[in-house]
Amino acid sequence: MASLTLKGIGKRFGRVTALSGVDLHVKDGEFCVLLGPSGCGKSTLLNVIAGLESQDEGSVRLDGHSIDRLTPRDRDMAMVFQSYALYPHMTVAKNLGFGLRMRGVPKATIRKKVLTTAGLLGIDDLLNRKPRELSGGQRQRVAMGRALVRRPKLFLLDEPLSNLDARLRANVRLELKQLHKKIETTIVYVTHDQVEAMTLGERVVVMRDGQVRQTGRPETIYSFPVDTFVATFIGSPEMNLYKGVIFKERKRSVFQGRGFFLELGNPRIDRMEGEVEIGVRAEDVKIGKENSTSPSVEVEMISDVGSEKYIHARLGQEHLTLRVPKDASFRTGEIIYITIDSARLHIFEKGRRLVTTNVEEV
Amino acid sequence: MKIEYSIKLRRERLENCIIRFLRITGILFFIIMVAFPFYWMIVSSLRPLEEIVMNPANLGLDIGKIDFKAYYDVLFDHGFLRYISNSIYVSAITVALSLVLATVGGYAVTRLRFRGRAFMSYSILIIYMFPAIVLVIPLYVIFSYMGLRDSIHVLILVYLAQTLPVALYMLMSYFKTLPVEMEHAGLMDGCTRFGVIWRIIIPLSAPALASVALYTFMIAWNEFLFAFMFLDTPDKFTISRGVVQLAGSVHLSKQLVMAASVMVTIPILILFLFFERHLVRGMTAGAMKG
Repeated sequence: MASLTLKGIGKRFGRVTALSGVDLHVKDGEFCVLLGPSGCGKSTLLNVIAGLESQDEGSVRLDGHSIDRLTPRDRDMAMVFQSYALYPHMTVAKNLGFGLRMRGVPKATIRKKVLTTAGLLGIDDLLNRKPRELSGGQRQRVAMGRALVRRPKLFLLDEPLSNLDARLRANVRLELKQLHKKIETTIVYVTHDQVEAMTLGERVVVMRDGQVRQTGRPETIYSFPVDTFVATFIGSPEMNLYKGVIFKERKRSVFQGRGFFLELGNPRIDRMEGEVEIGVRAEDVKIGKENSTSPSVEVEMISDVGSEKYIHARLGQEHLTLRVPKDASFRTGEIIYITIDSARLHIFEKGRRLVTTNVEEV
Repeated sequence: MKIEYSIKLRRERLENCIIRFLRITGILFFIIMVAFPFYWMIVSSLRPLEEIVMNPANLGLDIGKIDFKAYYDVLFDHGFLRYISNSIYVSAITVALSLVLATVGGYAVTRLRFRGRAFMSYSILIIYMFPAIVLVIPLYVIFSYMGLRDSIHVLILVYLAQTLPVALYMLMSYFKTLPVEMEHAGLMDGCTRFGVIWRIIIPLSAPALASVALYTFMIAWNEFLFAFMFLDTPDKFTISRGVVQLAGSVHLSKQLVMAASVMVTIPILILFLFFERHLVRGMTAGAMKG
């Protein structure tokens, strides 16, 4: 149990900058998720925290004390690897107890702790097997157990679920969340899967190109993305995003995109004119009645995910995805009219969110 | 359509015939080239001397007349007990040193970052640009000057220099196949670097280490040129040097030379059969994702 603070972490591999100026504070007992596309530096950051890589600049602090000079062994952290990295020549029991054994814990204590942990994860009946005799899900559990058994100050998880099949992944995700509640420990969790990040994280850190783009609670990041990258990276289906200009017409702001106009009602924007990007999530597009101000779209394709349907439509020369209830029926080629609540619009200028939009609701 | 099919069938049969013929001839060829001399060597070493003299062309072995006297003579009258123990000593130490050095060195070159690492990994095989015969003369002169030449330990040094590059190379390429996450896991679990090598790398590298050991042992056991040049005192002879000594002696008896040759060959054979089981791959199965 500990709090983790990163200050200005930078790391280069030759000419490639893997991390630059990463600041982060993870509170005691918090579940923090590092989220980003592959190659954004999130795994490198995890290795820096673990001490497996040394940073070129900045410092890592655990409970306020710098641990930059400590070896991984002395940092008292545990890590779960994407590939599990179990020791193939040892039984499950030996795998679980290895960390304790290396730290000189008496044998009887090791046995007790291994049994407790195995019970917690439901792998007690596998203790005498070798990793090659286990299924993917069982291996994943053993990898988790190896980290859990030691009760370290900090848990580092590097995409621990990405090798499981979809159903198992959802189950383990839930279990992981319950486990965190039970053991109340500080976790740093790396993933490229935004669903994992949103469901697990108490704090989500969105990274790109070695930099932190946004840090915050999942719902904040979803509702108020700071830039177009975060806006499109978070959320499924991807946020609709259009380039265009805002101009004023009879005291009303109008957005002109490629081949369509959108009346903005009364958004709280200081700057009423100029080039912007506006974004709207699929669930914030409503189907309206035909009138002079609501734009019309042509249905191109419908994807049914069971619980709801997504309509992929053509808006001017752009594409629009909108969500409709599962019982709604539309045909391809049909023309429908949409309304968008201006308060739900995300407005970006030069890729950055215009601070004044929606700011009161934060 | 049907005709075409039968032509194809006939052609395939012909091809199969040719392949079978080539295979059988190939096997026969290698049996004659390799197994026959070996057989002849063993048979000759086991036949009583008078029988060889009377009937040298006889290839059969009369079970009732098997005679181990040649082995006894070679071992006890011609000093082979000494030569064999010398050879075992030289080979075992070469194997042990080469395993230790190649493991540590190979690990360093594959996993650690240091100045000159790339050069190291490329230059390891450079020693093979110099054939042994080119090296043996200057080394002879140098070691003679230093007064170290007639020594088993200098021989070990030379064998080590000869085997270490290949040993390093073999282990390096094996270490590269081991997932680095496993070592990271070891480090996180509280191992030191040496702990990782000892507890994770070495157990997982058993097949590669067995290959290296076998290779090194074979080189050291069979080596003749340096042993011939460096060793003067019969007490220090290795077995290959001993065989030549025996073959060159005045009372040359074919039977004795054959018995000595068998003794050179058998240990390698036994070792190979023993290690072969360990040379199987797949030690890391199950470590990584399913």
